[in-house]
Amino acid sequence: MTMDAKALPDLFNRYRDRFAAEKQALIELDGKVGDSDLGLTMAKGFTAAAAALEEKAPETLADGMKTAGAAIAKAAPSTMGTLMATGFLRGAKALDGVDVMDTAALADFWAAFRDGIAQRGKAQLGDKTVLDVLHPMAETIAAQAQAGASPAEASRAAAQAAKEALEATKDMEAQHGKAAAFGEKSKGIQDAGGTVACILIEETSAAFGA
Amino acid sequence: MKKFLNKPEDFVEEMLEGIYAAHPEVTHVADDLHCFVTANPVPGKVGIVTGGGSGHLPLFLGYVGDGMLDGAGVGGVFQSPSSDQILEVTKHVDQGAGVLYLYGNYSGDIMNFDLAGELAEVDDIETATVVGNDDVASSKPGEEHKRRGVAGIVFLYKVAGAAAAEMKPLAEVVRLTEKAKARTRTMGVALTPCIVPEVGKPSFTLGEDEMEIGMGIHGEPGITRKTLEPADAVVDEMLERIFAEQDYAAGDEVAIIVNGLGATPMEELYIFYRRISQLFAERNVSVAQVWIGEFATSMEMAGASISVLHLDDELKPLIARGATTPFFKHIAK
Repeated sequence: MTMDAKALPDLFNRYRDRFAAEKQALIELDGKVGDSDLGLTMAKGFTAAAAALEEKAPETLADGMKTAGAAIAKAAPSTMGTLMATGFLRGAKALDGVDVMDTAALADFWAAFRDGIAQRGKAQLGDKTVLDVLHPMAETIAAQAQAGASPAEASRAAAQAAKEALEATKDMEAQHGKAAAFGEKSKGIQDAGGTVACILIEETSAAFGA
Repeated sequence: MKKFLNKPEDFVEEMLEGIYAAHPEVTHVADDLHCFVTANPVPGKVGIVTGGGSGHLPLFLGYVGDGMLDGAGVGGVFQSPSSDQILEVTKHVDQGAGVLYLYGNYSGDIMNFDLAGELAEVDDIETATVVGNDDVASSKPGEEHKRRGVAGIVFLYKVAGAAAAEMKPLAEVVRLTEKAKARTRTMGVALTPCIVPEVGKPSFTLGEDEMEIGMGIHGEPGITRKTLEPADAVVDEMLERIFAEQDYAAGDEVAIIVNGLGATPMEELYIFYRRISQLFAERNVSVAQVWIGEFATSMEMAGASISVLHLDDELKPLIARGATTPFFKHIAK
């Protein structure tokens, strides 16, 4: 299937349902090296984003992503909420003038999403953050777009890359944010922020029917 | 912990309720006590919004008023306000001429102000940002962008506020504020730690006879910790670092803030200023304006900071202009 502005409420309903289902798992994951608010803030943030899109049907993809980003910023004023909001706002800019999300637009969206989070969060690759999953994810979609893959194929490949990248965060030692204080102890645990990125691409892939 | 409070978790809200009760010239928007704004916005004027954690009064909200700032996002003790709170303040103070974000260099504040700016852009509000980084002790020369913002930001508030009050456009307010920033330096010294109400005990300790030169206003580590010395020697060491960074020629003028960190009496601040005035006189640099008191505190921390703004023909009249806020009153000269 293809994705246009009319399909965005469904996409965010998927995000909302998945984060509601994973809330407890995320709370426990984040609790090992942080303040365990990640599950709560993601559930709240995406519930608000879905509600905002239901309330006012977006006219364009860019509009819808902006609405979602603003709703997340308001409902989830934590570090990850701020980063997610930034991601959707930057992604929205990349979708200016795009009516239907083809693979190239999908690649531009996730590249902008990643760059926004990298800039705002100031983490480096390898610091064991959301970026360590977002980066290979975005790179995979870009390569798929080059190769002429459909959005469904590209997002499925990206979801696979994200899963592997998330697994790889287990070997990393946290260097950034509150988790950095746990240092060596963070090894063996998959990154909570990376888990969020993995969930996003899995649900995106599912929305494309992949 | 020995503090006047009801419940530690109500500390910030009850402080805000007290301020709103005392000062009808300020109010809050979005049904959120943390969204602090002037009750008297000036149509067509560039809005100036600051913000940061609580625990530093008069920073940050204390400078919202005539001739200074228009709004402040108020965070929990030593915590950033949220991007949404900053956005609500921004929407309220925007009078069509754009909004300047002017706050201290802390990563949480930067993240939330930057996101608020992006959200404001969605609402077609133009914003610009100047981040105060006057604390000489927090990074070496050449790495000024890593320095923390402390009491010297009051000079930036004064300059930006005066420029905006003269109805200058946003770009010009930014230019003048950047100029003041480049010419402002602060050095601090701490004698005792502070206690965050919800934590209940000090986050670090200083020996009975010790001082820490360069400590930050949240207890961030300074340059040296050593045995307390006579006041003149402490001032000499602090000003030496400030003199090393700005080229003060004979005949130049400065503005000075001698700031108490919360528990240091005014007497001691004037003992500091006695020596400060001698050192500037020795260099034939005249002090056009001096403010002595509490401008940027850290709860009950004992200690002081010295901020110096190297004036020029453009900055001097902006510093001299009158301003009236609940915590800051300056009669025009």
